[in-house]
Amino acid sequence: MAYVATRGGARAIEQSQRLFRAEMGTITPERVAEVRRALPYLVDRVMGEASLYDADLAALALAQTGGELHEAVLLLRAWRTTQPRLTVADPVLQQDLFTHRRISAAFKDIPGGQILGPTLDYSHRILMTEVLSGAAQTPDPVDAAAISAPAQHPSVAAWQAENGLLSAAEPDTRCGNDIPDITREPLLFPAQRAHRLQSLARADTGGVLALGYAAQRGYGQAHPTVNELRLAEAEVIVQHPRGTRFSAGRVKVSQAEVVAKTGSDLRLGFAATLGWNEVKVIAAATLDLNAKGAPKGSATEEEFFLYHTEGVEASGFCIHFKLPHYVTFQSSLDAMRDAKARDQAKNQARAAETAQATREAEPTP
Amino acid sequence: MSLKSLTRDWQPMSFGFLDASAKREIRRTSLKAIAVPGCQIPYASREVPMARGWGTGGLQVSCTLITPRTRIKVIDQGADDSVNAASIRRFLARVSGAPTTMDTLEADLIQSRHRIPEEVLQDHQVLVLQVPNPEPLRPVEPNMSLARQMHADADYGRMWLQLYEQIVRSGRVMQGASYPSLVNGRYVMTPSPIPRWDVPKLHMARHLTLLSAGREKRLFAVPPFTRVEPLVFEDVPYRVEDHAGLSCARSGARGFFMNEIPQADGSSSYEISDSELGVKSIRQRDNETVTIGDTWYKNGEMAG
Repeated sequence: MAYVATRGGARAIEQSQRLFRAEMGTITPERVAEVRRALPYLVDRVMGEASLYDADLAALALAQTGGELHEAVLLLRAWRTTQPRLTVADPVLQQDLFTHRRISAAFKDIPGGQILGPTLDYSHRILMTEVLSGAAQTPDPVDAAAISAPAQHPSVAAWQAENGLLSAAEPDTRCGNDIPDITREPLLFPAQRAHRLQSLARADTGGVLALGYAAQRGYGQAHPTVNELRLAEAEVIVQHPRGTRFSAGRVKVSQAEVVAKTGSDLRLGFAATLGWNEVKVIAAATLDLNAKGAPKGSATEEEFFLYHTEGVEASGFCIHFKLPHYVTFQSSLDAMRDAKARDQAKNQARAAETAQATREAEPTP
Repeated sequence: MSLKSLTRDWQPMSFGFLDASAKREIRRTSLKAIAVPGCQIPYASREVPMARGWGTGGLQVSCTLITPRTRIKVIDQGADDSVNAASIRRFLARVSGAPTTMDTLEADLIQSRHRIPEEVLQDHQVLVLQVPNPEPLRPVEPNMSLARQMHADADYGRMWLQLYEQIVRSGRVMQGASYPSLVNGRYVMTPSPIPRWDVPKLHMARHLTLLSAGREKRLFAVPPFTRVEPLVFEDVPYRVEDHAGLSCARSGARGFFMNEIPQADGSSSYEISDSELGVKSIRQRDNETVTIGDTWYKNGEMAG
């Protein structure tokens, strides 16, 4: 009776949570600070999926859930729900981003240059097992470049648009509270572009990767070329009630532009998210690229991929199957048993009929 | 008069958890849903501190309707003491200070997953059903956008065809719970996965039923005194689960929806699914004074 406890539901719940938390021990501010310092990419991923930029809260969510990612994202989203909306920041423009890393696969070199920035792309994936035997690994200091890269860059797509290679999307001029907001409005289809990009920005990294990869591998119509991948920091410019515009701080952002040839034009797919998460934005931009004209119900059609990459909804529904379902099960059993009984009765009647017919056909001695 | 006297002190959490804008949206959506019975109204569906699929839709409606005086009852599979029901009840009480009850007769607001209590609900009571999948057309049309268009056109041909095919293949309609039903002669809705036993309780009921799917972001309603008719063919009548003749092994109650408990000897024993009615029946048997309300089913038959 531990599952649907007789009258002890509340106590059982309490004890099950204690069991879960016992394994993680005491959560201290130091632990939270260490999670934030040691796992910036995990913190970024969680902030992106939660659509809430606060590294301390994200680290706390990770510490509190023992790294159960979907739980951590849900904690942050539930916290986000309760927060007042003070103001809407100015749009972030690509050319204003403080850029750390920016690469293009479409051209050997691009205006502003290829900037490798922080990456493990060309590292050899060898475990530092010596750390376990006591040899701490301190990274070698970074040598500054002779000429430092410019902090700001125009987008590659802007150059292509200038050269008539790409028809840029119509800019959405809505601003402030008129900007569609997926967290305050239902998602309906065909989705507004703002809703689609917001959903992708909040989407589960694994989910977006799975469907984006499917599109890349051949289930999509368009093969993406990474026009530009960028890791940057964006100023959050807001207006003070007295009228002054000021930066409330910087947030890390990632964005990807992917392009594919359609007829004599390039088609652009775009994605951006809070935090640095390259796999997610490349996969998400691939989905955006493929969405136009995708057959209804295919994995590259927006209704399909937006619903199924929503990590909080997907994980919640998946684990809800643990809840008791014995009423619905009982209801199905009832229909099943009745159908079986009818089937049996029919077979018996048929057998009896056949026996009767055989008897009648036999010649009488 | 000072500003302080006009405002409330800052609190870390809003009354009923949701902020005023979220509640306003739910209220507006509920009113629309009541105005167009059975029609699924989309809403934003905020994240709440519970996993999606665990009653977040019902919870948002309850959080919106609750006042400090609302007496709340929460059941899951008919049981007040199921762990998730206990968790939701505790949450609602915690964010509102509202009193809780297990007695259907005492409750003002009943949040339920998969069951409607056996005692008749009255016009001052509101039933909030948690809905995993609000779309009755899902088996024939998995795309929400296309299904929405089909509802707009009252295009239910494929739904009928599906029921017909079940009869042809299996000799009967094989739908278990969530039996598709026509509301007010216009919209086909899923009554949420309540058993077929419970669907007739919605027809011309005195109480308001709000059905809310948090993950799928849809809310619909059956207002009081509204027709709810299960989709059936004229010559194949609607059949509820064959539970009329079963009796509860613990309370002796008979003629209600039962949980089947498999026994080690290969047989089955039965327990009444509406747990509080079971408790009342046991107490009545033990000669305690209890009030059992009027029930929808009498001797296993739905009262006409």
